[in-house]
Amino acid sequence: MNPLHMLGKAISSPWLVGGVCIAAAAGASFADQGTVQMWCFLIVNIMLAQSINVLTGVAGQISLGHAGFLAIGSYAAAILLKDYGLSFPVAVVASVLISAAVGYVLAIPSGRVREFYLAMMSLAFGLIVYELVREWRGMTGGVMGMRGIPSPGLGTLEVFGWGVSPEWYFRIMLVSLIGMMIMLRNFIKSHFGRAFYAIHVSEIAAGSLGISSGGTKRFAYALSGGIAGLAAGFYAFLVGYITPESFTLMRSVEILVMAVVGGLGSLAGQVLGAGLFTYLPQQLQAFNDYQYIVYGLILVFSFTLLPRGLAGLLGTQTRYSKHDQLSGQVPGLDTVLSRRSGSGQALVEVCDVVMSFSGLRALDGVSLTVRRGTVTGLVGPNGSGKSTLVNVISGMYTPTVGDVYFKGEKISGWPAHRVARAGVTRTFQDPRNVPSFSVRENILMGAHRLYTHGAFAASVNSAGAQREEGRFLACTQGLMEAAGLSAYADDPVGDLPYGIQRLVEVARALASDPELLLLDEPAAGLSDTEAERLMALIRMARDHGVGVMLIDHHMDFLEELVDEVVTFDAGQEIYRGDMAGMRDDPSVIEAYLGKEETSHA
Amino acid sequence: MLELRDISVSYGAIDAVKRVDLSAAPGTITALIGANGAGKSSLLKAVSGLVKPKTGQILLDGYDIGALQPHERARLGIAHALEGRRLFHQHTVEENLVTAWHFRHPSGDFKRAVDQVYANFPILAERRRLKAGTLSGGQQQMLILSMATLHEPRLVLLDEPSLGLAPIIVSQIYEFIRGYCDEGGRTVVLSEQMASLALKVADQGYVLRQGEVVQSGESAKLKGDGLAGAYLG
Amino acid sequence: MHGGPCGSARIFLAESTKTMVFFLQMVFAGLSVGAVYALIALGLNLTFWTTRVLNFGQGSVLMIGAMLTAVLIGYGVNLLLAVLIALVATCLVLIITEVVAIRPLLKAGGSMGWVVSTLGVGVFLQGLASLVFGTQAVAFPDVLFSSSATLQIFGAWVSVQYIAVFVICVVIVGLMELFLRRSTWGYGVRAVAHDRELASLMGIPVRKVVLLSFAVSGLLAGVAGILVSQISGTVDPGFGLHLLILAFVAAVLGGMGSAVGALIAGLGLGVLEKLIAGYYSPAAAQTVAFVLLVAVLAMRPQGLLGKKEMVKV
Repeated sequence: MNPLHMLGKAISSPWLVGGVCIAAAAGASFADQGTVQMWCFLIVNIMLAQSINVLTGVAGQISLGHAGFLAIGSYAAAILLKDYGLSFPVAVVASVLISAAVGYVLAIPSGRVREFYLAMMSLAFGLIVYELVREWRGMTGGVMGMRGIPSPGLGTLEVFGWGVSPEWYFRIMLVSLIGMMIMLRNFIKSHFGRAFYAIHVSEIAAGSLGISSGGTKRFAYALSGGIAGLAAGFYAFLVGYITPESFTLMRSVEILVMAVVGGLGSLAGQVLGAGLFTYLPQQLQAFNDYQYIVYGLILVFSFTLLPRGLAGLLGTQTRYSKHDQLSGQVPGLDTVLSRRSGSGQALVEVCDVVMSFSGLRALDGVSLTVRRGTVTGLVGPNGSGKSTLVNVISGMYTPTVGDVYFKGEKISGWPAHRVARAGVTRTFQDPRNVPSFSVRENILMGAHRLYTHGAFAASVNSAGAQREEGRFLACTQGLMEAAGLSAYADDPVGDLPYGIQRLVEVARALASDPELLLLDEPAAGLSDTEAERLMALIRMARDHGVGVMLIDHHMDFLEELVDEVVTFDAGQEIYRGDMAGMRDDPSVIEAYLGKEETSHA
Repeated sequence: MLELRDISVSYGAIDAVKRVDLSAAPGTITALIGANGAGKSSLLKAVSGLVKPKTGQILLDGYDIGALQPHERARLGIAHALEGRRLFHQHTVEENLVTAWHFRHPSGDFKRAVDQVYANFPILAERRRLKAGTLSGGQQQMLILSMATLHEPRLVLLDEPSLGLAPIIVSQIYEFIRGYCDEGGRTVVLSEQMASLALKVADQGYVLRQGEVVQSGESAKLKGDGLAGAYLG
Repeated sequence: MHGGPCGSARIFLAESTKTMVFFLQMVFAGLSVGAVYALIALGLNLTFWTTRVLNFGQGSVLMIGAMLTAVLIGYGVNLLLAVLIALVATCLVLIITEVVAIRPLLKAGGSMGWVVSTLGVGVFLQGLASLVFGTQAVAFPDVLFSSSATLQIFGAWVSVQYIAVFVICVVIVGLMELFLRRSTWGYGVRAVAHDRELASLMGIPVRKVVLLSFAVSGLLAGVAGILVSQISGTVDPGFGLHLLILAFVAAVLGGMGSAVGALIAGLGLGVLEKLIAGYYSPAAAQTVAFVLLVAVLAMRPQGLLGKKEMVKV
């Protein structure tokens, strides 16, 4: 292991972190006020870095106006305490709640907008808050700012009648930080954290796992806002005097730089980034003159030179599962997949579906039934509508005409995540795994729709949460063994060969304990051994009563697996029956090879 | 005149084309046949320069063109009509033709070339000021073919020209292709899923399956049951 | 004469003429500044068309163009030479941005990379300008006419500079539209904007077209920076940002694909901004513009005239 990685491991050790915290808490009484105040600023920055990291690093929603949250929270806390007489703890909690609410509201327009439009919007958010704060003189003191905010530094801050000294303020902040970090870490490692990261990587793939991208984004914004609100509440009383100039674009840039340098996506990285940019301006007086130049250069080159920031350099890994904390007994495969009864029953019925895209009929009156406990193959030349059918059933498209019924209920028109939650799982032509997650974390994500415990339970690692997580981790272990993936359990999927990635995606699909499984060209690019393993997994699903629909071009592969094959051409079904019959069927041959005679004009 | 030696194309971990050899003589039409995903498009893209082959050489009249960028190969006289009827939908028919002509610095008179196009396909003349996106599938394909042959390139690559078109239009198109080839020793390489169609007009064919050539030779020899096997196993 | 119905009517007429005059002055100011927004939007569009990248640092490029001009003239450099140097500088900045901040990040995929890196260029330039020129606002000299020269239009006194800026911007936008429709380079840009691969197969040297469009974008940014500083009278290192956002609003409202659309949207936005600023406050105007942006993007993520992009699975 290289020395940097050893350093990284040392830094992440809970003993070291705990020791440092205790030392700091004790040492606060002996350090001078300037140093203690510095430590307080460090905590504010760590919280802000964590806040933007949740939104931008984990959930992938870029935020160029994060100082807006800081402004809202700070002014809210200061005003509530000064003008409305609320006590300090209540003011801080109010700051958290108000900022979280603002975040939630911001997510509503932001969630619909893509990529750089979102970046512009976040930039505009930061600027609007700045302008509003400057204009709203009555509330905020306008350009002159708010003076005389009770502060420990001046000895004017009181809680329940007790004066708060700077060192006790620091201890309160430290405890809050530790509490917040522990909860955040548990949250990230739970299925909620995985859901955040999933929408970052691919909203479509996330939808196929039952994750609603709109709802998840609102949650991410609210959480990010709330954490920023916590920082803001402490900040207001720390400085005692706030003006709009504390919340300009440059402050937003600073927050972004801390997070980027620390390493987007990494919890530990944020601490490092915050630490660096709290102390650097202090240590190097010259830094202030060159501050924007340095920030600018960092932003220009960091993604190319150091994409994972300091955290990447030190090799610290942010894990998205509680695997290291929990271990359960590996269950038999029968517990991984439920045994579905009613084999042979109609599971999904496609009724006269037409799917038309600006005049082009991708599906032209298709009716199809997939039954429990059977494997149906779907073949046909390029453009015949096979993938479109899968997209219609899984909810990605709403049929132009016709309906789809699942277990007797009409699902056409449901959003994809709702269809997935009902028990329909699909895979994609290119395996859509999360490349930076391990095999284990990817497969575990498949179980998303089955979780019942809530965000708070996840954050505090309640007994119920631990039980449920342990159960799904065990199922994941079982699936990895069934798919022959145990050797790769903790390797990032993006580094693994294509065939393994495909198997991971299928195992993930099985982790959702589906009733209907739709596989889009799963055998493409697989070696013979891998194809064998894939076949075993599909057979396992079928034997448990799952209805399977399988698109593929590899006829040998299909031969051994399917109970029935359906051939499509130009959006219509042209053959249904067994494989041997398909080979001899004249309309199938014509569909692939074309007519022997072409009509002459 | 076109020679591919030991060409392999990979996209990340996926091998789309595996060690293919191919040669096409001047004045001939060569057909690439195979199912979806067999590697036909990737092979054509390697020739026109849109993808860089992992191994192998591409020789045009004996010269290795591997180091040339796509626009340089276009100026050398290679025309590639992409699959999926790609043209400049927001431009008018005329603007498409201008774009196809102008940047290749061809010799000859643009007006004469365009008049020839309108003579070949009168329907394009009628619609010359309409946006290409509003044309029907067949008309778009005619425009694409015209764009590919306007400046009389010596090598024309056509990716699934008949996809989604009515048989009558397909005949028209294939007649045009045959005519273009016969007139002056130009070379055409076209790919099709519909084997029978392609083999009717081609002089020779290569059957591709999962990136490899499984059969090749004169088109007359290729027709028959062996073909179905390449698709249906 | 006062008193009596005739007198009050005259007072009323005088009052309403004053209001009318005020209104017209706001409109003319708005048309002028709006034309500049359109020019900036055009610069943004050019780079967007050829690379699908929106330069978040464009605001700072505007600032550099204006700053250099002002400072050089302040040192006694000939006016035309100063403007030339400034424009060469802005061109170079855009080209360097493409090579250093955009191309490497496009390879990595996704948009967060280039958003952050182009923003980084903007922040860097702002820092550089603060270091070299100081953080205080610099008075912008009279490049076009004199700041005191005015003309009367419909009874309102309008600064000649406003009119000159308006005319220059509209002419440039018109010329650009002409170039795009008629010239070889214009065909090249439109082809690359439409379909890069297809363009390269047509023999278009994509790389050169991209670099050229960045250079032109830099030129437009430089000119816009000079013009907007002329009408506002000062320039400081931080002034590019709100212009960037307003120009972006204009570009989105006009549809990212259209130069004429950007012009109409820019003019409308400029007039709206000045009217609100005149009757309420400048901050209210900015807020309205931003809220407008949020509203438009929320309801029509592709802009008012842009086309919806289908996501293929």
